[in-house]
Amino acid sequence: MFNILKELIYSSGVVSLTGGNLVMWLVAFVLLYLAIKKQYEPLLLLPIAFGILVVNLPLTFLMEPEHGLIWFFYHYGIEQDIIPPLIFLGLGAMIDFGPLIANPKTLLLGAGAQAGLYVTFFAAILFGFDLQEAGSIAIIGGADGPTTIYLTSKLAPHLLGATAVSAYAYMALVPIIQPPMMKLLTTDRERKIVMTKLRPVSKLQKICFPIVTGMTIMLVVPPAAPLISMLMLGNLFKESGVVERLTNAASNELMNIVTIFLGLSIGATMTATTFLNPKVLFIFFLGLFAFVISTAAGLLMAKFMNLFLKDKDKINPLIGAAGVSAVPMAARCVHKVGSEANRRNYLLMYAMGPNVAGVIGTVVAAAILLKNLG
Amino acid sequence: METDWPKVLEVFGSGIIGVFLVMILLQLLTQLSTRVIDIIENRNKGEDAEPGA
Amino acid sequence: MPELIAPLAGNVWKVLVAVGDKVELDDEVIILEALKMETPIYCDDAGTITELKVTEGDAVEEGAVLAVIG
Repeated sequence: MFNILKELIYSSGVVSLTGGNLVMWLVAFVLLYLAIKKQYEPLLLLPIAFGILVVNLPLTFLMEPEHGLIWFFYHYGIEQDIIPPLIFLGLGAMIDFGPLIANPKTLLLGAGAQAGLYVTFFAAILFGFDLQEAGSIAIIGGADGPTTIYLTSKLAPHLLGATAVSAYAYMALVPIIQPPMMKLLTTDRERKIVMTKLRPVSKLQKICFPIVTGMTIMLVVPPAAPLISMLMLGNLFKESGVVERLTNAASNELMNIVTIFLGLSIGATMTATTFLNPKVLFIFFLGLFAFVISTAAGLLMAKFMNLFLKDKDKINPLIGAAGVSAVPMAARCVHKVGSEANRRNYLLMYAMGPNVAGVIGTVVAAAILLKNLG
Repeated sequence: METDWPKVLEVFGSGIIGVFLVMILLQLLTQLSTRVIDIIENRNKGEDAEPGA
Repeated sequence: MPELIAPLAGNVWKVLVAVGDKVELDDEVIILEALKMETPIYCDDAGTITELKVTEGDAVEEGAVLAVIG
């Protein structure tokens, strides 16, 4: 009787628990709290937090290569790069490139914000990260979850949990991180600028955009193909107007399904041994740095462009901050700060231009990093 | 591990320039295709209007 | 007669006035919702609402007339 009890205890995970596991439980509980109570990106944080929790229960072997349930999700979904492009398919089916087509100048703002990403790359090298790790950390500044995951899984898979969580966490914190930077770098007068009305965009233009842009990007930077092809296909579904069922499937059902596997797999990469590492703290710090610098770079790019624009065409430099690709959080944030300066200033749609340009810019930046470092 | 500074600078420089070049290219193409489509659509509109006129 | 124009596309979230109400310059007349964000639309003129062109839940395009102020 006593022996059976003893065996039960020894075969249980309890005796194998480490202090690190307990700390990771705490991390999981904090994330669960943020997801459920504060509703910070709950669609992702919730499965991520649960993934962290279960992978830090010893002897469950959920992440055991070739055996564990979640390992299979991770292996096929992320290591084999299936999930991030599928998320992009859904994203493409949801976003409207209209404001970008109406005002193509804003493509440059999407590029401007990416400059911040390379500054972070430099900073990460100074912190002692190797080239591949530095590239994965820098991409956090693009504020694009799927691209961050895609690039990190190729360059520095051991950092995946940290870069993914910080990308999504900072995306959720856009309304807190960006406004101080926006106010610091723009004058009250600049924030009050009301932009000229956007020209109407015809259906044909909206249909041509994903085809022309997609082909161009894939020809020039082929490593961008997995993400860009899916993004543009999703957008073509939407704009063509003839495959509503596919549009809905891509942006609703499929997106929701892969989000579950994505969150769970990302969470499950965060075992105590990989996550409780001083490097991870640096990643969170550098991720924040990347985000702030990218915001600043976008704002400065907008101010720089204004030097060359005629008075009536001047852009409100705030929309430069939307060049980071957190769609549509960054655009909303611009709108809010703009309306605080001038309550008749409705920047939302103007900010969507650089915002979707930021998505394209981040993918291009990631593809170039991948080509140089992969 | 020694940091390979020339490589760092190469990645840094080619990255920034690369992103800008691609985005400028996209801007030009978007403007071009917008203009072409405008012309086509205006001509179609003209043709549509003629029979009625 | 001055018209209140929608400055951006969205859905009408709340109509804060009724026909016959007196409004002052800068009063909140309508709240639009776009991209899950509430955007108050302010009155450009003082006067009386003579006509409301939208009701709550309507989708409006940019430039659409929301109300007429007499």
